[in-house]
Amino acid sequence: MTTDTVTLTGLRAVYGTGTRRVTALDGVTTSFASGTFTAVMGPSGSGKSTLLHCAAGLDRPAEGTVTIDGTSLNDLGEDALTRLRRDRIGFVFQAFNLVSTLTAAQNVELPLRLAGRRPPARDVEAALDAVGLADRARHRPSELSGGEQQRVAVARALITRPVVVFADEPTGALDSAASRQVLRLLRGLVDDHGQTVVMVTHDPAAAAYADRVLLLADGRLADELTGGITAAVVAARIAERDTDPTGISRPAADAAVEPSC
Amino acid sequence: MLSVRRSAGAFVAVAIGVALVTAATLLLASGRPQVPDRLARAAVVVQSPEAGRADSFAPTRPWSAARATELAGRLAGLPGVAAAIPDRTFYAQPLVDGRPPASDGQREDAHQGHGWSSARLGGLRLTAGEPPRRPGEVVVDRALGLRPGTPVTLLTAAGPEPYTVTGLLDAPGVHVADDVAATLAPGVRAIGLMLAAGADPERVGAEARGVVGGDGRVLTGDRRGALEPRGDARTRWIGMQVLTATAALAGFVTVFVAASTFAFTVAQRRRELGLLRAVGATPRQIRRMVHREALTVGGAAGLAGLLVGAALTPALGRVLVDVGLEPATFRVRYVLWPLAASLAVGPVVALLAGWSAARRAARIPPLEALREAAVEQRPIGRLRVAAGALLLATGAALSLGTATSDDARDGATYALYAVMALVTGSTVLAPAIVGPAVRLLRSPVRRRGGAIGLLVRAGALTATRRTASTAAPVLLTVAFAVLVSGMVLTTTAAYTAGRADNVNAGWIIAPDRAPGLSDRAVAATGGTALLPTTVFVTEPEPSTGIRPLNALGVDPAGFAEANRVLDVVAGSLDDLRGDDTVALTASAAPAPGLPPEPYPVVFADGERVPLRVVAVVTDISVPGDLLLPRAVVRAYDPSALTSTVYVRDRVDPPLGARIIDVPAWAAEADRAEDRLVWLCTLLLIGVSAGYGAIAVANTLLLAAAGRAADLRLIRLAGATRRQVLWLVTAESALVVLIGAVLGGAVAFAGLLSIRAGLAEQVGATVDLVVPWPVIGAVVGLCLLLAVLASVLPTWRLLRHRPARSAVGIVAG
Ligand SMILES: Nc1ncnc2c1ncn2[C@@H]1O[C@H](COP(=O)(O)OP(=O)(O)O)[C@@H](O)[C@H]1O
Ligand SMILES: [Mg+2]
Repeated sequence: MTTDTVTLTGLRAVYGTGTRRVTALDGVTTSFASGTFTAVMGPSGSGKSTLLHCAAGLDRPAEGTVTIDGTSLNDLGEDALTRLRRDRIGFVFQAFNLVSTLTAAQNVELPLRLAGRRPPARDVEAALDAVGLADRARHRPSELSGGEQQRVAVARALITRPVVVFADEPTGALDSAASRQVLRLLRGLVDDHGQTVVMVTHDPAAAAYADRVLLLADGRLADELTGGITAAVVAARIAERDTDPTGISRPAADAAVEPSC
Repeated sequence: MLSVRRSAGAFVAVAIGVALVTAATLLLASGRPQVPDRLARAAVVVQSPEAGRADSFAPTRPWSAARATELAGRLAGLPGVAAAIPDRTFYAQPLVDGRPPASDGQREDAHQGHGWSSARLGGLRLTAGEPPRRPGEVVVDRALGLRPGTPVTLLTAAGPEPYTVTGLLDAPGVHVADDVAATLAPGVRAIGLMLAAGADPERVGAEARGVVGGDGRVLTGDRRGALEPRGDARTRWIGMQVLTATAALAGFVTVFVAASTFAFTVAQRRRELGLLRAVGATPRQIRRMVHREALTVGGAAGLAGLLVGAALTPALGRVLVDVGLEPATFRVRYVLWPLAASLAVGPVVALLAGWSAARRAARIPPLEALREAAVEQRPIGRLRVAAGALLLATGAALSLGTATSDDARDGATYALYAVMALVTGSTVLAPAIVGPAVRLLRSPVRRRGGAIGLLVRAGALTATRRTASTAAPVLLTVAFAVLVSGMVLTTTAAYTAGRADNVNAGWIIAPDRAPGLSDRAVAATGGTALLPTTVFVTEPEPSTGIRPLNALGVDPAGFAEANRVLDVVAGSLDDLRGDDTVALTASAAPAPGLPPEPYPVVFADGERVPLRVVAVVTDISVPGDLLLPRAVVRAYDPSALTSTVYVRDRVDPPLGARIIDVPAWAAEADRAEDRLVWLCTLLLIGVSAGYGAIAVANTLLLAAAGRAADLRLIRLAGATRRQVLWLVTAESALVVLIGAVLGGAVAFAGLLSIRAGLAEQVGATVDLVVPWPVIGAVVGLCLLLAVLASVLPTWRLLRHRPARSAVGIVAG
C-alpha cells in the first residue's frame, strides 16, 4: 500500500482583494497515502480548513493541483466534481453534518440515493450498527446528541466506501468520551476498511490516533511527524515550535482554546 | 425533503388562487346568452342588421314596416315555414293603483308591449279571456291580478291611455292587437319563423339567408341568444370583464406570493442545501428537488382549490346576479374546460413561482454548509439601487403625463402604469428605505419602549432585508387599494361635478319606476325636455358598416338656455326647426364646417330620411351625437321616451316622474354604472388585500422559526413571556406600519397627479376623495394577520423551557 490517494501540488488559496487580501495557503505540496490516517494541526487561521476544502473539492485553489485517486480535480466541471465527491469522498464536519428533516438512516443513505442507487436496508443497518446507533435509525438529528450526530456522519462515510474521508475538527464540539468514540471509528475506517482519513484538529490527544501529523503555519507546511505519535510528543513539538523564533509567534495555549473558524 | 410547514404559505396562496380561477372560469363559461322565452318557439329568427361594435350594445337597425312585410311574405313562402311573424316591441306599462308597479324598475320586459301574433313565437297560451282584436283591448300578465273585462291604464310614450283587459297570459309585458302594435312600433327588429312539423331549422335557416342577404342575420339554435335584451348583454359583458380581471389578478398575485415563499424557504435552507451539495447532490438535482417540491405543493393546492372553487361557484353566481353583474337568467353550468384549465393552473403557477428560487438554490456552493452565521447581512446591491431609481423616475414621469393629459382614458392608463412603476420601484428599494424609516421612529420608541423598544429597533435595523420583505406586500397592497379606490371615487366625483356644472336649471324631472317620461308628463311640467332616440347612419367608404348615433330631440331655444357648455362651431341652432333639420357634433360630422349635402339617417321606424345640417357644435356641448327638433324624433319614433326635463322652479312631478335638484341628478345619472365599477374595485382590492395579508403572515411565520434561537436567548437574559410576546407584536406592527406609510405615500403621489389631470379635463376644481374605510380595512387586515402570524408561533415556542432546543440545526 504505497499509492497516494490524494496528491496536492503547489496549492495557493487567496481570499479577498486589495488591502483585505489574505493568503490562506501559500504553496502547499504534500500527499496522503492510501490506508493512512493524517492529522493536520496548526494555529487558528493557519489555513487548515482551507487546505481541507481544497483537497476535498469543496473549494477551488487559486493555484496548484489536487489529484484524488488519480483524477485531477482541476479538469473537472461542477457536475463531474460533484459526482467525484459523492463517489469517492466522505465528510465529517465539526457540526451540522446532517439534514435536519431526514432520519439518521435516511441521512446515511443520502449520498447513494443522490447517486441514483438505493442501498439495501441491511447495509444501512450495518453502517449504523458499526457506529453503535442501530437503535436510533429512525431518529431525526434534533433527537440525537452532538456525539451521536457525528457518529451518524461517520456511518455515512462507511456506507459509501469513499477512498478518502475528510474531517474538520470532528471532535471540536464533543466531550472527551464522545470524542474517543468518534476517533476510534475514524481509526477503524483506516484499519478495517483500508480507507484514507485526513483530519484537522487542535487536540494533541486526537492527533495521537493518526499515523502522521502535518503542522501548518501561515499557510505553509511547517513540520511533519511520522511514527511513534502520542499526545505528549505532539504537544511537545507544538510547544517547541512556539519558542522557536523562526516559527509562528502565537502561544500554543491560545491556539488550543480558540474556536474553529 | 418536503416540509409541510415551510410550504404552507405557498399552499394557501396557490389554493386560493386556483379556487378563484376555477370559480371565475366556470362563471365565465356559464355566462352564455339565453334565448328569450318570448321567442323560444321560433326555431329560426331573422334579426335586422347589427349596428356598431359588439360591445356598444346598440339596438339593431330596424326594417321599415313595408320592408318587414315584404320580407315576412317571402320568408313565409319558403318550404318548411308555417308562418313568418314580425315581432314588434314598444313601451307600454300597465298602472296598478294609478302608478307603475314597484317591481317593474328592474325587468326590462315588464314594461314592453308586443303585437298579439308575437305570443305565438313564445308558445304563449291565454290562461283566461280572449285575444285583443280592436284598439283599446289588451292582454296582460296574470301576475298583475287583473281580470278580463276590467279597465286598465297603460302608460305609453304619448301618456296614460285607457284600455280594457280582454285576456291573461303567464308572461311579462302586454300584448295588443297587431294593427295597434304597428302604429306604436312601425319598425321591426326580428321576424320569427314557425316551422312546419319535421322541418330542419338549419336547412330553413340556409334558405332564409338567401332571402335576407346582407339585410339581416338568420339565427338558429343557441345562436338565437343574440336576441337577448341589450341590457342583459351589457350586464353579462361587464360581469365578464370583472371575472377576467379577477382571474388574471388572482393568477398574477398567486405567482408573486408563492414565489416569495419559495425564495424565503430556499434562503432559510442555505446551509442544508449546501450540505446536500457537499455530500454529492449536483446543482441539477437541487434544482429538480425545488421544482418537485413546487410541483407537489402546486398539485395538491391546485386540487384543493379546484374543489373549493367548484363548490363555491353556484353561490358566487347568485351573488353576481344579486349585485347586477350577471342577468337574472344566469345559470351556473359545470363545463369541462374551465375545470381542466384550472387543474393545470396550480402546478404551472407553482413551477413559475419556484423557478427563480430553484435557480438560486442550485447556485448555493457546498461550502455554505460550513458557514457560521445563519443569516448573512447582504447590503443592497448597486444594480438594485439603479433599477429602483429608474422605476421611480419612470413613475414620476408617468405621473406628470397623467397630470397633463386631457383624455380621460389616457390619463387613467398613465396613472395605472405610473403607480405600478412607483410601487415596484419602492418595493425594490425597500431595504434601503427601511433603515432610515426605522431611525425616524427612533426617538419616541426609545423613550417609551425601554428594552423592548431597543430590541424592536435593533431587530428591524439589522434584519433590513427581512423587514423589507415583510413590508413589501403591505406596501403593494396599501398602494393598490388607496390608488385604485381613490382614483375611482375621485373620478366619479369629478364627473358628477362637471355634469352638474354644465346644467343651467333649478330642478330636474326624472322618471320614477319607469324607463322614461311620456309626452303628456313633459307637457305638464312646461320645462325643457330631452327626447333621446337611436338613429343609424351608414359609415363612409370603405367600411360601409352601420353606425348607431345617440340623437336628442330638443327645443333649440330652451336647450341653449339650459346648457352652459353649448359651443356652436358652424351654422346656428336657431335654424333647428321644420321636419328635416339636424345639428351635428364635430365628431359625427363627415367633414369640418357645415356640409352642404344632405345627411341621411335611418330612424327607429326603419325609414331613411335625408336631413339638412344646420349647425355643428363641439362634442362636449351635448350629451349625445346629434340634435334634432323634438317633433322630428316623435314623428319617426312613436315610442321614444323623454329622459330628462329641466325646469326653473320646483313643480309637482307628473305621473311616473319625480323632481330632484341638479347635484342629486348629476350624482345618480351614472349611478348604476358607478355602483358596478365600485363593486369591481372592491372585489379587486379584496383579492389583492387578501393575498397581501397572506404574504405578510407567511413571511412572518417563516421568520418566526428562524428567530427561535434569538428569542430563547432573550428569554434566558431575563425577559418574561409577556415581554417577548410584546416584542414580536411590536415588531410585526412596526413592519406593517412602515409598509402602509410607504404604500400610502406612493398612492397619494399618484392620486394627486390624477386629480390634476381630471381638473384639466372637466374644467373645474376636483376634490380628492380618500376612501378611509377601505384603507383602514386593508391595513387592519394586514396588521391582524401579521400579529397573529408572529404571536402564535412565539407563544407555542414559549411553552417550552427556554433552555430546551426546539430546532434540529443547532448542534448540542
Ligand atoms: N471565506 C473567507 N473569506 C475571507 N477570508 C477567509 C475565508 N475563509 C478563510 N479566510 C482566511 O483565510 C485564513 C485561513 O483560514 P482557515 O483555513 O479557515 O484557517 P484554520 O482553519 O486553520 O483556522 C484565515 O486568515 C482566514 O481569516
Ligand atoms: Mg478551521
